[in-house]
Formats: sequence, structure tokens, C-alpha cells
Amino acid sequence: MCDKIKINLVVNGEPVTFEVQPHVSLLRALRDNYYYDVKCGCEEGDCGTCTVLLDGIATKSCITLAAACEGHEVWTDKGLGYNDALAARLQAAFVECGSIQCGFCSPGMIVAGVHYLKHGGKADRRAIKRSISGNLCRCTGYVKIVDAIYKVAQEIERGALA
Amino acid sequence: MKEFAFVNAPTLDSAVALLGELGEKAYVVAGGTNVMVDIRVGKRNGRTLVNIRDIGALKGISLQNDEMRVGALATLSQIAASELLKEKAPCLYMAANVFADPTTRNSATIAGNCAGASPAADTAPSLLALNAIAHIVSAKGERQLNMNEFFAGVNRTHLQPGELITHFTFKPSKSGFIKLGIRNSMAISIVTAAAALELAGDVVTTCRVALGSVAPTPVRAKSVEAALTGQRLTEELLAHAAERVREDISPIDDVRATGAYRREVAPVCVKRAVKLAAYGECR
Repeated sequence: MCDKIKINLVVNGEPVTFEVQPHVSLLRALRDNYYYDVKCGCEEGDCGTCTVLLDGIATKSCITLAAACEGHEVWTDKGLGYNDALAARLQAAFVECGSIQCGFCSPGMIVAGVHYLKHGGKADRRAIKRSISGNLCRCTGYVKIVDAIYKVAQEIERGALA
Repeated sequence: MKEFAFVNAPTLDSAVALLGELGEKAYVVAGGTNVMVDIRVGKRNGRTLVNIRDIGALKGISLQNDEMRVGALATLSQIAASELLKEKAPCLYMAANVFADPTTRNSATIAGNCAGASPAADTAPSLLALNAIAHIVSAKGERQLNMNEFFAGVNRTHLQPGELITHFTFKPSKSGFIKLGIRNSMAISIVTAAAALELAGDVVTTCRVALGSVAPTPVRAKSVEAALTGQRLTEELLAHAAERVREDISPIDDVRATGAYRREVAPVCVKRAVKLAAYGECR
């Protein structure tokens, strides 16, 4: 058993210290520290349900080395919902549009959607589809997921959201 | 039991020193998109993970004295969004835009894609077609390696223990890239083709064509190049030249496609890549 190392990072606005084995993923480190809103799906970068914002950029936490996140800032879907108006609005839109079926892909879909909207994404269904193309929904409820992101993008364009 | 160690390299000097000390024990990690999957399936146990993700000197995309410079840590997202590369090296820009998916592209780096040496590495054919140079540093000094001599086999390169890619350079070029995958996103390539051309009027003065997923390493299509060079670029010439790609490739059957299928579609990919290079579109 290799020795654990300590890493300091900021998760959902709070400075935290994780004790991790040197090789574990950011996903494992987060879940071992009770951030259960970050889901573990394929654990090889295909399904996207573990997506978090790392320094403001959508990142698949299962293929990110936890130890390499020393000094960096992570936001999960839940943390965003409590602290970020746009993310909270997108979560509400997921509910309004019926975008959540079993719910397993939702945290990753929402973080990918937040990344899209925060980086100038427009109300453009093709572009929205492309932006969540690294996220799998096995209920195949993609249309309603796209609807929700589209709805919030329209609200931003109308100036109804900052 | 997985037994890895971890060291952080905050600067290029510290990375070079660490890689020199560790030699073959070192396992460089940047974005982690390949490394984390390898670790999970039990490969490379016992290595020391050397984190280079925060080394500023390895980042950035720029044009200096009419030469493109792409840092080792340039992410596929940065390449896919680069107006400079869109204009100066469209084949690399196009490859980045069909690489994996947008979220994976946020982590994956160009040097990681090359150092992993997958026969299906999506940036590799473009770097071959651009005749790109990999700039490599180690405790012994610096050296340059043409990307056409970089790959040694499946998942093997001519990088030596202790060596680190710092950046890639290449001349701007009219170029194009096409990927045939099984889906539009998150697809490992069935065949990829990149072409870079110089034209005088409609005569091809120089050309380089390279393919991925059709041999143990990304390969140049020398027969196609020979058939195109010095000729007027016409539909007939291109059809004839593209067929010759069959002499340059040695595709295998795998889970994505059969070798026979790859032989059939490779000429089509070559044709389209050359058209994209020459005209900016497949007309």
C-alpha cells in the first residue's frame, strides 16, 4: 500500500485538504470526501457523468489525476446550484423541461451545459448538442436536455439572466 | 495493488531534473486522459507520476517569424478554437474539432496525444503532413525530431527516458483533414487523412499526405504524393492518385472496422483531405 499524500484545493468555494493515494482520480477523491453529486459512470472518460468545473472549465473528473489538482478550484453540480445564479437557473430549467429521467447523467449534463452557457454559447440546438456530446444519457432523453439548455440560452439572449 | 508515487513539476527546469533522476520510472501526466485509463486497467504499476500540467512554458499557440509554435500542453480545445491555426494550419484545426468530445478536449494535450502513440491519434496525421518538428528537452540538452520519425510502433515512440516534448513547430500550409469514425463524437477513428499542399496555379508543387488508423503508426502516403507532385490538380488525377494509397497502408481488422473496409475508404478519405487542402471544402 503506497503512502497517501495530502492535496489542498478549493471545492465549491471552500478550501479543503484531501488525503489520497498518489494515483487516484479527482472523481474518487471527491466521492471519498462525500461529494456524492459527482457520479461515477464508466470511469474511463466516455460517459461524462463525472464532469466538474476545474478552474472554470468542464472536465471529466474520472480521467483527471487528483494529485494534479493541488491549488486548483473545483465546482460540482451541487455547489454550482447553491452559489451560481446561471447554474441554479439551468437546474430549474432541467426540472421544468422534464430533462431528468433516471437522473444519473444530470449532474454531468448540467455542468457541461453551464460550461457552454458561460463560454458564450448561443440558443443553437446544433451547437448545444455538440457541447454535450461527451455526455451519455442512457434513458436517451437528449431532446429535453437540449430543450433546457436552449431555454436558458434564450433567456440570456433576451437579457432575462445576467 | 496499485503502487504509484507522485511528484509535481511546477517549472520546466524541475520537470527536466525529475525526469533525469527517475529515468524509466517516470510517467509523465498532463491532462490525464490517457494516463488515468492506463492506471485504471493496471498498466505501468510502480511508476512515479510526474505532473507537468501547470508548467507555463509548455503552453500557448503562436506565430513567430512565419513559423507556427504549438506548446506541448496546448489542449485540443485551445487548438480547436484557435483562429491562428484555422488560417495557418487548417488540418490541425480540423483534427482538433473532431477529436473525442468537447469536454475531453478541455483536458487532452497535443503532446499527450502524440506521446501515447496510438495508431489512431487524431493529431498525428496532420503533424506528419505539416512536416512538424517536435522540440524535445532532457538533462542532456535539447534536440529536434521530425514527426515523420517520431513514431516507433503501436504505443511506442522514439522518445527516450528522461525526455520531454516542449513544443511543436511547423510552417503554415494549405491543408485539410478528414476523420471517418463510427459516430460524430467520442469516436476512435476508422481512418483519418491529412493533406498539406503548395500549388502554383493549379499545379501541385509540393504535397504531403498522411493517414491514421491504417498501419501500426501514422503513415505518409508516399505513392499518393508521387502521383500528385508536379501535376495539374484535376478530378481525374486525384481519383487516380488517391487509389495508390493502398500501396502505402497495411490496415488490420479490429473492433471498429475490417482491414478490407479501411482499404476501400482510405482513397476516399485521401481525396477529400486533398480537396479540403486545395479548395477549403470538398467540392
